[in-house]
Amino acid sequence: MDFVTMNILESTMVSICREMGIVLMKTSYSTIFNEALDFTCGLADLNGDMIAVADYCPSQIGGMPLLVRSCLKEIPLSEIEEGDVILHNDPYRGGLHTPEHTFFKPIFADGELMGFAVAIGHIAEVGGMAPGGFCGEATEIFHEGLRIPPVKIKKRGKDNIEVWKLLLANVRTPRVNYGDLRALIAAVDLGEKQMAGIFQKYGRQKVQDTVRDLLLYSERRMRAELEALPDGRFNFIDHIESDGIEEDRKHTIEVEVTKKGGDIIVDYTGSSPQAAGPINATLGVATSAAYNAVLHMTDPSIPRNSGCFRPIRIVAPPGTIVNVDFPAPEVGGNTETHPRIVGAIMGAMAKAVPNRIMAAEGATHCNFVFGGVDADTGEFFACYDLEAVGWGGRAFADGNDAVDSINGNCRITPVEVYETRFPWRIESLAFNADSGGAGEFRGGLGYTKQMLCLNKEIICSQMTDRHLIAPWGLNGGGEGGTGATLVQKAGEEKWKTMREAYGKKSTSRYSNVSIREGDRVKLVTPGGGGYGDPGKRPKELVRDDLHEGYISKDFAKRAYKYQEAE
Amino acid sequence: MKFSQNGLYIESYTKCTNCGVLIYDKIDQAVKGPDNASYCSSWCIDWKKDRDARRSKVKVTS
Repeated sequence: MDFVTMNILESTMVSICREMGIVLMKTSYSTIFNEALDFTCGLADLNGDMIAVADYCPSQIGGMPLLVRSCLKEIPLSEIEEGDVILHNDPYRGGLHTPEHTFFKPIFADGELMGFAVAIGHIAEVGGMAPGGFCGEATEIFHEGLRIPPVKIKKRGKDNIEVWKLLLANVRTPRVNYGDLRALIAAVDLGEKQMAGIFQKYGRQKVQDTVRDLLLYSERRMRAELEALPDGRFNFIDHIESDGIEEDRKHTIEVEVTKKGGDIIVDYTGSSPQAAGPINATLGVATSAAYNAVLHMTDPSIPRNSGCFRPIRIVAPPGTIVNVDFPAPEVGGNTETHPRIVGAIMGAMAKAVPNRIMAAEGATHCNFVFGGVDADTGEFFACYDLEAVGWGGRAFADGNDAVDSINGNCRITPVEVYETRFPWRIESLAFNADSGGAGEFRGGLGYTKQMLCLNKEIICSQMTDRHLIAPWGLNGGGEGGTGATLVQKAGEEKWKTMREAYGKKSTSRYSNVSIREGDRVKLVTPGGGGYGDPGKRPKELVRDDLHEGYISKDFAKRAYKYQEAE
Repeated sequence: MKFSQNGLYIESYTKCTNCGVLIYDKIDQAVKGPDNASYCSSWCIDWKKDRDARRSKVKVTS
């Protein structure tokens, strides 16, 4: 191995991936891209192995190898030509969920196919039953938008017009979608161009040899990390509260992690059969979630590529909530079930490496999606809005307050942008006191966002979680706060759940609710679980939390036995 | 995964009974297990057998 060249090449390729993401951010139309950064850019070799990736969205990072490999099963290398761009989103063929669109473009050097530039992005509006793509009451894939098998959206550098027409005829916001799809193509264009330059600079053979060594290096470092962990079988069971269809039925995620030497096997056998509603995860999600969990508990300086994943084997029985079969719905699997799977794996591994595991996080992206006809412009708008949650306390620090869930790494759209782009007024945005689970290291806080509808009508749907089942604490830490979604109709005083106000089966998963001008919506996001005995939390920190408004007097007294003189 | 004769659509999705990966007709070689189900590899047959035995033992003793 030539470590110097390997290091330079690895850093260069990661920089290319970051640059691809910046292009995507700057040229896209939707807030989910240019504000939330719900995308990932990477590079792959001819086997579909991810050779470099930028630090964007973990669910897409872990899903990338299976996505590319699945496409290559259907479009053989011999049929791929210079200038082609392949598009794919099919959840049943390696995909993550219908909104997640994967683009990849071949990289040629001296006329020979060498690899691919890859961009995966969450398209905010994909057609289907509800504006914004997250239909909380979907019962089949056909409710969840357009399913795209691997197709060439560009052939030899020219647009495949027929594919474009089909794509844009099936969504509510064709102008915006067109801009976002072009942004994804711009990202892979840049990746291809930059990598072609790398092949020219170093020579094909040198790059191929170095990349092979790089993957091996990551694999060896990951195996060394795993070898340092205790061997054994570790189990954990967690529950998801509802699927939006079968009222109040809990669904089980069961995980058995077998760690032996430098290998780890994550077996989901025992998890619930696939649900009637859209909380099912695809195989891509179950795979990505296992990678995500392992990456979270191992050395973050190991170069992120498919080499890291080689020691990890996933067993996801078909027809279950962790490996959905056609044609069951699946859109919430990638956002809601993914973090719960990660949490279950971490819960299992807490018995082996408690100092590397945090208590449960909020584990939802809130997924408040909406659309309608803008009264000012007459144009249809749609938005996929994600919100932040509290993370779990750790063995060395409090949980993070108000960040995106563990598989997203996305940003929250700023209030000013939100109000400029969509007909809502954000009346308040504030931490939820007492939502961080008590502990020596407390959980992070969730928050509440209160919005006033300014349009004649906005059609809203949601796919969230943690309204009933609180994030668990670890090693004696307390549970984090639960979330809620409440609506106050114009002229009324009472805040109601979606079940109370609109007769929905679930308070957290519903679709196509008509919010009228003057109505208010309140999104309450969950906090994180606490870590360790609350009695061991230094009194000065409890005092600070109280004075900052993170906890109430009552919570300080109840959870920490802390009281100040009046 | 079985495609239609014209290759334009999927007629059935075949997955490994144990690990759940797609088994592509004419590309991947499926392995038949003792239960006559399709598996992607002999590793999966062995793993399922061991796990079933282990779990049934736990249920009996608990």
